[in-house]
Amino acid sequence: MIEVKNLSFGYKKRKPLYKNLNLQLPVGSIYGLLGKNGAGKSTLLKNFTGLLFPTQGELRVNGFTPKKRLPSFLQTIYFIPEEVYVPSLTINGYKKLFAPFYPLFNEDQFHNYLDLLDVHDKGKLRTFSFGQQKKFVIAFALACNTKILLLDEPTNGLDIPSKIKFRKLIASVFTEDKMIFISTHQIRDLDNLIDNVIIVDNGELLLQASLSEIEKKLSFKVVDEMPRENEVLYAEPSLKGSVVVVENKTGEESKINLEYLFNAVTENPVKAKSLFNTK
Amino acid sequence: MSDTFSAKRFVLLLKKTIAERPMQTIGVMVLWLLMSLILYVAAKKLSGFGAAQNLTFIWGLAGGEFFISSFMFGYFSTNANGSSYLTLPVSFLEKWLCAILIAGILYPIIFLLFFHGIDTAFVAAYHNSLDKTSVFYQQQYESVYTFSLNGMVAQKVYSLFLAFGGAMLTGSLYFNKIALIKTGISLTLLFLIIFGVNWLMASTLFQNINDAGPYDHVTLAVGKETGTLILPTNLEHNFHTGIDFVMPVVLWFLPLLRLREKEF
Repeated sequence: MIEVKNLSFGYKKRKPLYKNLNLQLPVGSIYGLLGKNGAGKSTLLKNFTGLLFPTQGELRVNGFTPKKRLPSFLQTIYFIPEEVYVPSLTINGYKKLFAPFYPLFNEDQFHNYLDLLDVHDKGKLRTFSFGQQKKFVIAFALACNTKILLLDEPTNGLDIPSKIKFRKLIASVFTEDKMIFISTHQIRDLDNLIDNVIIVDNGELLLQASLSEIEKKLSFKVVDEMPRENEVLYAEPSLKGSVVVVENKTGEESKINLEYLFNAVTENPVKAKSLFNTK
Repeated sequence: MSDTFSAKRFVLLLKKTIAERPMQTIGVMVLWLLMSLILYVAAKKLSGFGAAQNLTFIWGLAGGEFFISSFMFGYFSTNANGSSYLTLPVSFLEKWLCAILIAGILYPIIFLLFFHGIDTAFVAAYHNSLDKTSVFYQQQYESVYTFSLNGMVAQKVYSLFLAFGGAMLTGSLYFNKIALIKTGISLTLLFLIIFGVNWLMASTLFQNINDAGPYDHVTLAVGKETGTLILPTNLEHNFHTGIDFVMPVVLWFLPLLRLREKEF
């Protein structure tokens, strides 16, 4: 569980990146944190892990205050940054040195995940390609069985088959007692994977909603004739007409397109916030 | 398991620290010992035993400590490495103790044993090479002796060792990149400022200053002679206690606080 109350954070005192941010994120979901470059996605993840400290407000992760970085807290959370660190060790050497710090580490799962992600290289991890190193770290992190897994741009550096395998693996290992939090600006990589969406921009929370809630409140469709301008959150011309995101007033079901959703919310932040009661 | 200290976790961390970066721990230690040996041999040849012993002892203990300490918290040059280090489920006390154990205890013990070993061997070789029938034998024999690890020079070097080690450990937690160079420059600047300010202060009170050591002495030229003014005994004692004990304690404990407060 991640609880954020009136959190403020800034790299410079006079220029806060986040101001009075509020979030309640229970376990049992795969969250997608979406935002433009520089929107503060990585900063938020670093606050959750205790790498950065909020300047104001309260932050509790798994019942702990992250900034204390207590071992019992760090055993419950695994953070994979965009650029991963691997020492000059073999897969086995790494496992022997790092796994004992995580009491729930499962060796069978680890080798299984490596297989699923096609990490069969021998030799030192440093000699692996960037994509292979990243997949190795993802497999290790999943095998640690921490309650919370935070991934910052996990698909950067992965080729298309690896991205598909990554999505399959995340979906297959997820259980109701865990939380997976994926931050990315490559929205398409999260299709069919996440069940909750968080959108931040300029340090402001614009949306926190489950996919079912989004489905109820927004409609994604292709139209020949454009609806009235004040009803449209986002519109984009396509071959078959115009793709629009509008308020769902009829209760009809439509398939959510995360890219259109992101554009709709970031282009109409006030409307989106009022629609989803985002504080 | 305690969140402050666990022996099991500490052993795991120590094992990980050495096995993960053997070149920066064991490799650097071995390299420094070899360089000390080369320095000892070269200095002995050029300037004799006394210079070789003093130079090697300063270089090996204080210099080696400064260099090795720079690797203890050298995880912050990249985002990935720093994040991995800070999020490892280990307490900041254990991380600090691990650095203290390697840089502050293991290295000096290894160096002192090594230094004493090579010094004893070279001095013995010299003594054995002397002609026992020579009339100068006794004089030549007594002119060379092993370096006293309790002597005045050694005491000064122990102070330097503590100051350099503590400064480097602290510096490597403040400077994320090229901490060794940045800490070295900072220390040099600090010394220059302290000596410069001291010189300026002394020159406002005295003329014909030959030398001025901060909070220690002022040497004045009086005609062709020189005279040294020193601090009163109690003040000198306080100053040297501060330099020899208080400052190292502060410098070695500062990284513990910094590790707790470090954001990355």
